[in-house]
Amino acid sequence: MEVEEMLETYYERIGEIPESEKFIQCIQCGTCGGSCPYGMGTLFTPRRMILAVRAGIVKEVLDSGAQWLCTSCFTCSLRCPSQIPITDAIIPALRELSLLEGNPPEELAAALMNIARYGNSFRESPRKRDRWIKEVDFDVPVMAKKKSADVLFITECFGAYHRRCKEITKAFAKVMHLLEVDFAILGNEERCIGDLARLSGEFGLFEDLAEKNIRVFEKYEFNRIVTHDAHAYNALIREYPKFGFEKETLHHTQFLYQNLEKLKEMFGKLDYTVTYHDSCYVGRRNGIYEEPREVIKAIPGVKFVEMKRIRENALCCGGGGGGVWLDSFIKEHIKERPAESRVKEAAATGADVLVTACTLDVPMFEDALKVTGLEGELEVKDISELVLEALES
Amino acid sequence: MKICAILRLVPDLVEELEVEENEVIPFRYMPNERDEHAVEEALILKEKVGDAEVEVIGIADPDNEADLDEGLGMAAAKGADKLYKVILDRPTFKRAEVAKALAEFLKDKNYDVIFTGIQAIDAFAGNLGGMLACYLEMPYIGGVVEVNSEDGKLDVRKELGGGLLAEYKVPLPAVIGVVSAERPLKFVPFTKLRQAMKKAEIEEVELELPEFEGIEVVKYEVPPEPEITLLEGDVEEIADRLIEVLKEISVL
Repeated sequence: MEVEEMLETYYERIGEIPESEKFIQCIQCGTCGGSCPYGMGTLFTPRRMILAVRAGIVKEVLDSGAQWLCTSCFTCSLRCPSQIPITDAIIPALRELSLLEGNPPEELAAALMNIARYGNSFRESPRKRDRWIKEVDFDVPVMAKKKSADVLFITECFGAYHRRCKEITKAFAKVMHLLEVDFAILGNEERCIGDLARLSGEFGLFEDLAEKNIRVFEKYEFNRIVTHDAHAYNALIREYPKFGFEKETLHHTQFLYQNLEKLKEMFGKLDYTVTYHDSCYVGRRNGIYEEPREVIKAIPGVKFVEMKRIRENALCCGGGGGGVWLDSFIKEHIKERPAESRVKEAAATGADVLVTACTLDVPMFEDALKVTGLEGELEVKDISELVLEALES
Repeated sequence: MKICAILRLVPDLVEELEVEENEVIPFRYMPNERDEHAVEEALILKEKVGDAEVEVIGIADPDNEADLDEGLGMAAAKGADKLYKVILDRPTFKRAEVAKALAEFLKDKNYDVIFTGIQAIDAFAGNLGGMLACYLEMPYIGGVVEVNSEDGKLDVRKELGGGLLAEYKVPLPAVIGVVSAERPLKFVPFTKLRQAMKKAEIEEVELELPEFEGIEVVKYEVPPEPEITLLEGDVEEIADRLIEVLKEISVL
């Protein structure tokens, strides 16, 4: 593409995203770059990207790879005094140009192609999406048979296929089972919700996924969706309504909090010191800070400690916005990945358990524990795994 | 320069294969990865030469021809000039028959270069390049990782293994067996692919295959599951047992 066509495509795309016209109000203060976990490793921080693209310098930005050094953590967008939607508009629109040029980082390209072909990034059979239900000792109803339920549980790709994340799915399903919740899953009819594809600039794929998923949702009767996947939650509450989806969606931390009184009666004692990581699309993007903390603190015997950077200031795990498929690319540009810094912060609190509330966090942090040599000192658990342990103790 | 690339379908192993005594039934098919590299290298050569056309020839059977559309659409989105869907009418799965029929189809098309992948996961199709060259009476070179055009010939880099590369001058016309294109496969975003698939004009050709005498398939069967034994115990015990096992299988 020539620069002119690139700029036309870029402005057309950001024109579709609410409030993106605010880029004109960029005062070049540098808050974004100073807040960015990759600010030190990139040639073009968001501030410089905005300035460069306004000056028609777009190829240089793309060639630097700066558009891929973003984990969509939303810190820049939240702190921007001009409220420019950097994470939802500027970065994905630049990424889209890279995709159209045909040369995104290979791991990410493979993941996106797998989603398009199989409905999941793992290159797994769509017919095996529900396999995890055979690994639990209770019945997990599937909508195709059950037809209606109070709660539709969306497992999302990581929760359905990833070896470690499946354990979180099983734990949360067990908690719902113990709470006698009327729930069901879509099983093999579920496909990628697509938030990471959207944030990676694959807008066409995201639209296709949203439309197909909504068509499946419409086949069944349910009152609300509950998901433990922070990005699925984000897309379902913020993006799917643009395609006509109107059902209530809860993150599993909200769901657990809503059921806290009942859970309290069932909790046994746990002897842990616990710290909590505010996942970007639970906390900073969607304002869920208190619910997970209240649930953790309600478990008898748990000592709760906070890390240095919490709530709006929490450091990202590095997995969001396609970051989970950019690991080797990112490693080429920065010395210490965000997840490694974060587990060191968690270990410094003296906690035995680092609790998170996003499926991506768990493998990111467990990997970081191995890299930093902290394995054995700190365990990583999703909040549903901690809750289940308290229920079973 | 008139360039051609062959795109075959192979079973998609993401799904399990159904194996019956007289046939193997895949759930679906996908483009053969090496052939995708052949198409890519054909398009790279077009970029280098400038005055060139790339025609992509997809091969399928009547029951899986729809699975070719994505691969052909992908080629169109990347800049292929003409697309063919060759549907084979064949009683057997002998690849020499495919090569013979395809050579008949290709012989009057005056291609300067015919690209094909050097391997296919269904193993049968790996020899297509060589057999095609034989029937077309053209030179064949496999294991290719880079192609340049110079003075009416091709400058070809071929992988020899063990980290060695060799450079060959190849007279035209020729059949080139690609192991890997010189750059990663170009990414095609979803919308661009769907638009290309919608717009693509694909010429369908039915090809009747000659029947050769030769090896017949007696039956298909799933290989037995390998027996896995985990050696457990402390390091000394595991080492002793490992030595016994290595002796049992005559490694030591």
